[in-house]
Amino acid sequence: MKIIAFANQKGGVGKTTTAITLAHGLALLGRRVLLVDLDPQGHVAFGLGLEKTPGLYQLICLETPIERVVRFARTNLDILSSDKRTEKVKRQITLSDFRENILDDLLRSTHYDVVLLDMAPSLDVLHINGLVASDWVIIPTRLDALAVDGVKEILLTMGEVAQRGHIFQGYGVLPTFFDRTTRETLVQFKEIVRTFNTRVWPPIPQDTRVREASAYGKTLWEYSPDSPAMTGFTENKMNLGGYRQILERMMEVLNG
Amino acid sequence: MAERKQKYERRQVLDSAVADLLSNMEQKQIEAQLPRREREKKARERIKIQSRREQRATYDLPPTLRQRVKEMAEQERLPASQLVTLALLRFLQDYQGGKVDLADYKQSSHSPRYDWNLSLPEELLSVLSQKQRRRSAPKLLKEDS
Repeated sequence: MKIIAFANQKGGVGKTTTAITLAHGLALLGRRVLLVDLDPQGHVAFGLGLEKTPGLYQLICLETPIERVVRFARTNLDILSSDKRTEKVKRQITLSDFRENILDDLLRSTHYDVVLLDMAPSLDVLHINGLVASDWVIIPTRLDALAVDGVKEILLTMGEVAQRGHIFQGYGVLPTFFDRTTRETLVQFKEIVRTFNTRVWPPIPQDTRVREASAYGKTLWEYSPDSPAMTGFTENKMNLGGYRQILERMMEVLNG
Repeated sequence: MAERKQKYERRQVLDSAVADLLSNMEQKQIEAQLPRREREKKARERIKIQSRREQRATYDLPPTLRQRVKEMAEQERLPASQLVTLALLRFLQDYQGGKVDLADYKQSSHSPRYDWNLSLPEELLSVLSQKQRRRSAPKLLKEDS
């Protein structure tokens, strides 16, 4: 099993959309996937057209067995959803012994091939729990100075977690909402390539279909499988970026 | 003499899609800063390159065959592409007319991608080693005869 977190301390960078799209993509490829929502906003369930439920609260505060709190979302894809009661989970974890490993211990006992964690844009005990559980971290970022600063912040936090003995197998920086017509995009893109080099993954084009898909409670694979966010930019008959290409990168990560 | 320590640097390889996209965006930005005339010229060149892309194909050929086509094109003062187009069309004509039977050349392949390989007979390959026949120039004037 591999656990992959989608994290950026800046909000609105596309963490949830990326997590949902890749989770469903992996499920369509036959992997058994669990998508865990660590954000009290509960947007994972919403994005998949399901009701928000206090799954994480039931798991950690009420100690309900995990197989009873996960919900079927799509074939091969289950979710552990969140709602505002997830705030109580943070208090519960703070009061627990070995508090940083609670999530890791619970998730490692499951039968899934892949567990994806949609992290909240905050730095709290649940966030640290998510990072401690993760083998890999994908950091979606918009190409603006504030979001890029968020990338640096999450890397600092990962550094602190690593200093406590946790080993990350890798991380990738994923540019999202990519609008290649603006000069600022190029400036920021060059900056992150210069800083993170091989860690930069091909970008996801800005695409209004993404917003429409979540409004309908559908994934991009269902709503617009051939939209730019999925297929990327076309240059010289090649597709550059887009979630289909990112899914290939994910498979490389999963296959080691 | 003290041995100089050679410094090795680990090569960083960007994700190919990231590298392509970055280079295209940089190229477009450079073009955007050019004067209008040069911008238009670049745009025309790009359209020309794009339109020719449809006509391009890559095949592996024996180097001697490639060289022979090149020499023939130079001798006849023709574009090599047109010469190859003619050769392929003539081949297709012969193939469709039953003059060429691929079964004569087929040998089973070990490749998972193909069932067959073509084994070219020596007599056909010997065409490449034969000296090129120079066609006599057309007689244009009375004195030529």
